[in-house]
Amino acid sequence: MKREDVDVAVLRIEGTNCEEESYLAFKRLGANAEKVHLKQLLSKDVLEDEERSLDGYDILMIPGGFSAGDYIRAGAIFGARTKSALGEELKNFVETGKPVLGVCNGFQILVEMGLLPAVDKTISQVPKAALETNDSNRFECRPTLLKVEDNSNCVFTRGYKEHEIVLYPSAHKEGKFVLDESISLEELEKNDQIVFRYTAPDGGEPEYPWNPNGSLDNIAGICNPEGNVLGLMPHPERVFDPYTNPDWTRKGLKENRGDGKTLFKSVLEYVEDNF
Amino acid sequence: MKHYIERDVPFELHEVNILGAEDEDLEEISRESGVGLSLDEMKMVKEHFEELDRNPTDLELEAIGQAWSEHCCYKSSKPILKDTVFDIEAPQNIYVIEEDAGVVEFDDEHAYVVALESHNHPSAIEPYGGAATGIGGIVRDVTCMGAQPLAFVDPLFFGPLDMDYEELPSGTKHPRYLFNGVVHGISDYGNRLGIPTLAGMVYFDESYTSNCLVNVGCIGIAKKEELIRSRVKEPGDVFIVAGGRTGRDGIHGVTFASDELREDSEEEDIGAVQLGDPITKEPLIHASLELNRKNLLQGMKDFGGGGLSCVAGEMALAGGYGAEVQLHKVPLKEDDMAPWEIWVSESQERMMYAVKEEDVERVLEICKKWDVEATRIGRVIDEKRVKVYYEDEKIMDLDLEFQTGGPTYCRPTEIVEYTEEVEEEEPELPEDHEKVLLELLSRDNINSKEWVIRQYDHEVRENTILKPLQGVLGNQGPGDASVIKPLEGSFKGITITTDVLPSLTSLDPKAGAMNTLDEAIRNLVSVGSRPHSFADCLNFGNPEIPERLGDFKRVAEGLGEAARSLNIPFVSGNVSFYNQTEYGAVKPTPSILACGLIEDVRESITMDLKEESNPVYLVGETKGAMGGSEYYRMVGGNTGKVPKVDIERLETSMEEMLKAHSEGLIRSCHDISLGGLGVALSEMCLAGNMGVKIEIATELRSDDFLFSESPTRWLVEVDEEDVDEFEKTFSVPINRLGVTGGKDLHIDINSEVIDVELEKIRETWKTSLAEKMGE
Repeated sequence: MKREDVDVAVLRIEGTNCEEESYLAFKRLGANAEKVHLKQLLSKDVLEDEERSLDGYDILMIPGGFSAGDYIRAGAIFGARTKSALGEELKNFVETGKPVLGVCNGFQILVEMGLLPAVDKTISQVPKAALETNDSNRFECRPTLLKVEDNSNCVFTRGYKEHEIVLYPSAHKEGKFVLDESISLEELEKNDQIVFRYTAPDGGEPEYPWNPNGSLDNIAGICNPEGNVLGLMPHPERVFDPYTNPDWTRKGLKENRGDGKTLFKSVLEYVEDNF
Repeated sequence: MKHYIERDVPFELHEVNILGAEDEDLEEISRESGVGLSLDEMKMVKEHFEELDRNPTDLELEAIGQAWSEHCCYKSSKPILKDTVFDIEAPQNIYVIEEDAGVVEFDDEHAYVVALESHNHPSAIEPYGGAATGIGGIVRDVTCMGAQPLAFVDPLFFGPLDMDYEELPSGTKHPRYLFNGVVHGISDYGNRLGIPTLAGMVYFDESYTSNCLVNVGCIGIAKKEELIRSRVKEPGDVFIVAGGRTGRDGIHGVTFASDELREDSEEEDIGAVQLGDPITKEPLIHASLELNRKNLLQGMKDFGGGGLSCVAGEMALAGGYGAEVQLHKVPLKEDDMAPWEIWVSESQERMMYAVKEEDVERVLEICKKWDVEATRIGRVIDEKRVKVYYEDEKIMDLDLEFQTGGPTYCRPTEIVEYTEEVEEEEPELPEDHEKVLLELLSRDNINSKEWVIRQYDHEVRENTILKPLQGVLGNQGPGDASVIKPLEGSFKGITITTDVLPSLTSLDPKAGAMNTLDEAIRNLVSVGSRPHSFADCLNFGNPEIPERLGDFKRVAEGLGEAARSLNIPFVSGNVSFYNQTEYGAVKPTPSILACGLIEDVRESITMDLKEESNPVYLVGETKGAMGGSEYYRMVGGNTGKVPKVDIERLETSMEEMLKAHSEGLIRSCHDISLGGLGVALSEMCLAGNMGVKIEIATELRSDDFLFSESPTRWLVEVDEEDVDEFEKTFSVPINRLGVTGGKDLHIDINSEVIDVELEKIRETWKTSLAEKMGE
């Protein structure tokens, strides 16, 4: 498949708010990206020419924000609504190997829907992990450093070097990753599901604020066992270009990329090669 | 006599018996109804209705009360502002002062939109909700010009954080509680809207203890061809109210804002605080912008102070027509609201559209797609009146010019020369300058605001090029201005800062105002941008007190004089009077939101020291006028000598600094403000995690030199190889102070030596505020 034929849906409902930069990340790389309201996929309250179907897309991205206000639990309402309306279609989408990316609130939604960690099947009935309130009990907007723990299984990280340290900023109040007791950390490890861990600037154990939320085992992002569904709290789309890096004025702009660009490039290359 | 006569209709409606009313009746009516009109104003109303030979309905009186409130009609401030900050003609002006937000040219095809407002009284009573709705109101002001919101700013002012509970005035909440609540409100609401909060300030002073100030600003961007006015276009256009439902929250908000806070304000006025709901607001922004982009709107205005009454009236009058409204059609939160309550409710998250009849259906469809409730409630009529019906009953029929014209007052002013009243008291020269510096760095007006800044998302939308905190990861320091890149495919940027110097303004209002503008300009120039526009939010005490209005006048003169000489326009503003309780008035607080433009954001400069062995220069002249300085506040010095801005010098310095920037001669740059050179240099070291060694010989006292807040000064780091060219650029005084390097701050001044490890400075500067907030 050619790059310009890769159709990307950046999904939104009320309260989604990182859709513009997420959409631009794909578009700048030449893909055919589109911001799609959940209602367009459900053909509800929209004109005929606004109707869309999920299987018409090759990549689904659920961006950050505060879907439906997140007054119950981050991602809970969006997750429940999407799952009940699109569950079967989503399952097919994932099972055909098409990539799904959830960033920040999108990660929370993927977990709420049971698409992650999805240790034994595509969608689990009840959530098997959660993103809880940060240990600081505050919203934390700060640069975070991530170690790329897997660059082979996950289709989003193949362009990174193994154990490369990247800077993606974090901005959330509920990002502390915890696992249901029915799943062990070893299982995730064994399946190569741990994709990103928070790390200190020297690559060592991250104390707060380098682990900004108190996540279990410093986990910042995980994928499903097949590697085509990725969820992470930090925002790769905010460091697509070098000059949105928080310390670019110190490093200069010689390298023409921000750390996040490779993630989007990797998944597009995967789709080009496999579909 | 009976003040109210019930009309025989199946809903709640009274006629106000004004025709036969004596003066004391008029005063009583104003008080009972809460419309907040003075006796003279009530008499004007009476006169008007005598001519009509009928009594007003309760709704009509309410409509007049809202429209004539200080908050809506600026009756005390207008005559002064007209002579000072208004009408600065500059080529970048598109719509200035006349709309809810200022519209300024960005490039050939685009304009940026600026608004700044206060949300003081609601925040003093309910800090979380008050601050959140402040954000909600300001983002609507920008959206209703057809602009995509890009950034929020929020200057905040509270009493001292470490105040004893016993010292708190009765009915007042503790500054720590207010500060925490306000920050939390801005964080929750602003973050949910997906708009970054990029600049602001927090200032602590006793005068804000019983009347905190919460100012919020918003900046947006629009295509020039998509700009829309807050006015109707032609008779027959349909009024559509969109967004949240109308409830009893926020009734009499503007009259509440136009009176002093009292001890019992909480019980009396809690209904005047609106409730915010970002998840209604966010789709409302999307829907409004989509409707505008599709050219389906004739006019758009947000519901702010005064509610439907003000929106319908002002939109119609601005277009040269009138309005007819079917009030029973307005969707309500509570069914049993009286018509007058519906008419003046300030419930949040509402927008008014004026739409051509043939486009109504399409507008309603698009709103439905966004889950935004939208209802047609009236139409534009070809006479300058507002007529309101409830079911079939006509309940208002007022001449628009009478209603929205409002009174204007030339209230008496008295200018007080506070500086002449000061008993001069020079502090002793400190034995240990290092100790003084560390103590200054721990003060709440100077220490790190990271605790606040990181609770706001400052990167969402991926437009933020220079963030509020700058420098080495993990060690960042306070940037002078933030920089955003609003357009895909263009590197042109907008730079943003907010400033005010209340301590100086209270001592010399005019000099304080001019120093405030000087600081705003310094900040924009620091990052390499050219100052381009100002918005002001003028927070003062009771204007009926001649001394308070005198302060206001002097401040307006200072702002006007400086801005006019530099030809930088004031494009938008807000006046907040009555920031006063029985414990006194707030210090004159003219918050300024200043925007600059930079041709290429990739050339912007941060304040952190970059490289070892680079020379550090002081640009500008240091004088010893210590009046109003944070240093004197700390050590208890007193003087009437205050720093004065030399506008010509400011202009020359600005041009020369911008030239040095454009030639790439500046590696890092920081403006010198509160706490003087000592503090500014410390911040540059902390953010760069790099020491500096400087030597100063001065005729001034060493402490005056280090902590003076003389205006028009910057610290600049320059590459050794660029030194000649840098020095040649300046005609204003510059001084090579020393070089960067090491991990210590080393200052040798008149043989007094400060030599302190950065780690020690960092500990006190970085943790002081967080510790007070219980971290």
